[in-house]
Amino acid sequence: MAWLWWGMLAFSTVVLVVITALWLYAFRGGRRVDRSSRDEQRIARRWIIGGGLLLPGLSIVVLLAFGVPAGQRMLPLPLPDGQQAERIEVIGHQWWWEVRYPEAEGGEVVTSNQLVMPVGEPVDFHVTGEDVIHAFWIPRLGGKIDMIPGRTNVIRLEADFAGVFGAQCAEFCGAQHTNMQLHVEAMPRDDFEAWLAERQAPPEQSDDHAAARETFVEHCASCHRVAGVSDGQLGPDLSDIGDRVSLGAGRLAMEEGAISYWLRHHQQLKPGNRMPSHDHLDAETLDALGAWLETLSP
Amino acid sequence: MAEHGQHSVQHAAAGEFDNMELVHPKTFLGKYVWSQDAKVIAIQYGVTAIAIGLVALVLSILMRLQLGFPNTFSLIDPASYLQYVTMHGMIMVVYLLTALFLGAFGNYLIPLMCGARDMAFPYLNMLSYWFYLAAVLILMASFFVPGGATGAGWTLYPPQAISPGTPGIDGGILLMFASLSVFIAGFTMGGLNYVVTVLQARTRGMTLMRLPLTIWGIFMATVMALLAFPALLVAILMMLCDMLLGTSFFMPEMLNLGEPSAHEGGSPLLYQHLFWFFGHPEVYIVALPAFGIVSDILATHARKNIFGYRMMVWAIIIIAVLSFVVWAHHMFISGMNPYFGFLFATTTLIIAVPTAIKVYNWVLTLWRGNIRMTVPMLFAIGFIFTFVNGGLSGLFLGNVTVDVPLADTYFVVGHFHMVMAVAPVLVVFGAIYHWYPKITGRMLDDTLGKIHFWVTFLGTYAIFYPMHFMGFAGVPRRYYGYGETSYIPDSMQALNAFMSVAAIIVALVQLVFFYNLVRSYFHGREAGPNPWQATTLEWQTEHTPPRHGNFGAELPVVYRWAYDYGVPGAKHDFLPQNMPPEAVEADDTVPGRRS
Repeated sequence: MAWLWWGMLAFSTVVLVVITALWLYAFRGGRRVDRSSRDEQRIARRWIIGGGLLLPGLSIVVLLAFGVPAGQRMLPLPLPDGQQAERIEVIGHQWWWEVRYPEAEGGEVVTSNQLVMPVGEPVDFHVTGEDVIHAFWIPRLGGKIDMIPGRTNVIRLEADFAGVFGAQCAEFCGAQHTNMQLHVEAMPRDDFEAWLAERQAPPEQSDDHAAARETFVEHCASCHRVAGVSDGQLGPDLSDIGDRVSLGAGRLAMEEGAISYWLRHHQQLKPGNRMPSHDHLDAETLDALGAWLETLSP
Repeated sequence: MAEHGQHSVQHAAAGEFDNMELVHPKTFLGKYVWSQDAKVIAIQYGVTAIAIGLVALVLSILMRLQLGFPNTFSLIDPASYLQYVTMHGMIMVVYLLTALFLGAFGNYLIPLMCGARDMAFPYLNMLSYWFYLAAVLILMASFFVPGGATGAGWTLYPPQAISPGTPGIDGGILLMFASLSVFIAGFTMGGLNYVVTVLQARTRGMTLMRLPLTIWGIFMATVMALLAFPALLVAILMMLCDMLLGTSFFMPEMLNLGEPSAHEGGSPLLYQHLFWFFGHPEVYIVALPAFGIVSDILATHARKNIFGYRMMVWAIIIIAVLSFVVWAHHMFISGMNPYFGFLFATTTLIIAVPTAIKVYNWVLTLWRGNIRMTVPMLFAIGFIFTFVNGGLSGLFLGNVTVDVPLADTYFVVGHFHMVMAVAPVLVVFGAIYHWYPKITGRMLDDTLGKIHFWVTFLGTYAIFYPMHFMGFAGVPRRYYGYGETSYIPDSMQALNAFMSVAAIIVALVQLVFFYNLVRSYFHGREAGPNPWQATTLEWQTEHTPPRHGNFGAELPVVYRWAYDYGVPGAKHDFLPQNMPPEAVEADDTVPGRRS
C-alpha cells in the first residue's frame, strides 16, 4: 500500500504548488492585459470546470479505483483450496495485552504483552476489549482495528519477513494508554510451532525459590497466573515472564533486577496501573520474588 | 457582475420594525450587562469565548511542555496531561470557535449586514448568552472538583469516559455533560434567532441572493448546528443514564478488575455514530462562517467582485448537506466492513468538489484585482493556503486504506489542527482586524498586525507540519510520553522539542495582538464610517460604532448585491448596497453616505 500513499503525497504536493503558483499569478497579474470581460469569463469558466470539477472528480475516481482492491485484501475472506489462516486471539485490558493461541497443538497457549506469529502466511487476529475500547496496531504490518468490549473484530495480517515489530494501543483507553505496548515477533512456521510447544508444559521449578513461590501464592496468585503454581486471571499471565523484553507493557526494559525494581516502583513508573503497591513487603522479599520470576522461562 | 443588482426589487421585509419599537435601556446594567442589543451581546460572546480560549491555549502550552521536555515539569502528571488534552479540545471546538463564529460574529453582523435593527428576538438572544456563560463556568468548575476535569478525550467515548481508569470520572465527566447540555440549550435559542432574523428581518431589497457571503456562511452553519447539536445532546444524556440510572445504551457487558459490570448488551459503537453525526458537521459549522468571511474580506481588499457568487452560495449549501453523510469516516478502524467504509469515503471525497470550486473562485476573485495588502487580507490569504493544505491531507484520511495506518496518529492531529484550528483562527483574526474599526470607531495598528500575522502564520506551520511527519512515523495520539522499549525513534523527541518552542513563541505573540486591541481602543487612528470603502450595509450606518437600532431613523433600502467593486462605467470605485441606481450616475454622490 506504500506506493498508494507515496503517489498521493506526490499528487498533493503538485496540487499545492500549482494552487500557490496560481495565487501568486493572480496577485501579480494586475490589470495590464485589457481583455474583454466576455474573454475573461471564458478563461475563468475554464478554470472552474477544469480545476474545480474535473480535477477533484478524476482524483476521486482514481483514489477509489486503487483503494477498493487494497481494502478487499484486508477482509478475512476464506482462503483458496482449504487453506486455514492461523487464528490468534488478542484481548485488550487496561493496560496490557492478553494473547491466546486456541489452536495450538496440544492445548491452548496463553501469554501476555508479547505476540509471536508465523511469517509468510495470513494470520487472522480475533480481537476484543475486556474493559474499554483499545485498538490493535502493528504499524509495520499495516492494519489497525478497534478492540471493542462485547464484539470481536477480525483482521487479517501477513508478515512478509521474519523480525521484531513494535505494536501499541492506538485507541485512547484511559490513564495509561501511553504504556500499552506489544512486542511482536514473526518467525518461520517451524520456530513458531516450537515456541508454542515449549509453552505447553508448566515452567520448571527449583527448590531454591520455594520461599518466593510462597510469597507469590500468598500475595499475587489471585490476580496472576503462573502455569502449575496459580490461576489468577485479572492481571497478565506470568508463566514465561523471564523470556519477555519489557515490563509494564513497554514501560521498563527487562534486565536483571528489573522485576524487583518494578515491584517497588510500579505506581511511579506507570501511575494508575491496577496492581496494588507492595509497600507492606520488605525489600528482601521483593528481591527474592523478582529473582524467582526472572527464572520463569520455557 | 453588475447585472445582479441593477434593477431594484420593491417588497417589504416582513420583520421590519420601527426604531421607536425598540426598548432603549437607560441604565448601565441595561446597556452593557443585561443587554438585549445584538451588538453588545456579540461583544459579550466574543470576550467570554476569547477568555476561555486563552485557558485552552495555556492548556496546550502545558501539553507541549510535557511532550517537548518530558518529566521536567512535575506539575504535569499523566492524569493531568490527559485532562489538558480533553479540555483543550472541547473548549477550542465548542466553547471558542462555535461560540465565536455564531455567537459573536453572528450577533454583530447578521442584523447589520441584513439591514435589521436587531435580532428577531432580542430577549431570547440575551438569554442565549447567559446560558453560554453558565456553560463556560460549569466547565471551568470541573477543574476544581475532586478528581479534576474529565480526561476522556474530547470525543468522550464510552465505556472509557465513564469507567474507572480514566481521570475525572467522579465529578469532571458529570460537569462536562452538564456544561454541554446548557451550552446546547443556549445555542438552540441563539441559533433559532439567527435563522429567523436572516429569513424574516432583512431590509427592503435585500433578497437572499444579495446577501453578503458572510451571512450565507453563518446562516448555513447555524442551520447545521441546529441539526447536529441535538445528536450530541442525546448521546451525552444516554451516557449519563448509563452512568447514573443503570441503563445500557452504550455499555456492553464487560469486566472491570474481574468484576462483571451491571450493564449488558449496549453498543459503544452506537455512541460513536451519534457523536460523529454531530462531530463532522461541527467541522463545517466552524468552516462555513470562515468561508463566508474570507470571501468578503478578499472582495473588499482586492477591490473586485467575488467571482461566481451564485456558485459560492450553492457550494456552501452543498457542503452543508454533504457534511451530514460522511460521519463514519471517523470510524474506519472500528471494524466496519470496508465496503461500508468506501461508501463514506466516496461521500467524503465528493466534498472536495464544492470546496475546490470555492478555492478557484477565490483565486479568480483576486485575479486582476487592485489588491491592498492590508492585515485582514493577509489573514484571509493565510486561511486559504492553510485550508488547501489541510484539505489535501484530508484526502489521505478520507480514503479507507490509507486512513487505516494513519488513524489515531499525529497525522490526524496535524490535519485537523490545520483545517479546524489554524485556518478558522486565522479568519477570526482577519475578521477582528476587518471589523474592529466599525466596532470601536478606531483602526488597529498596522505594523503590530503584520508582526502578529507573520509570526502566527509561520509559527503554526512550525508546530503542525512536523506532526504530519510524526504520524507517518507511527507516533500515536494522546500519549504523554514513550515507554523504554517503544519503537518510536528518538528523533521524534527532537521534533517534539522544536514544536514546543514554536508553540510558546506563537502563544507569546498573541500578547502583541491583545496589546494592539487595548492600545488602539484608546489611541488608534479614527476610522471614520467606512475605512475599507466596503459596500455592505454595516459600513453605511449613521454612527460609528452603530447605536442601538443600528440604522438611525430609517432602514436602508438595498438596490444591489454586496460586491459592486470597480464596476465599469461607474464614477466610483465601489457602490454601496444601498446606493440607488440614479445616484450612480450623479457626480456629487459620495459613496458611503446614506442615501
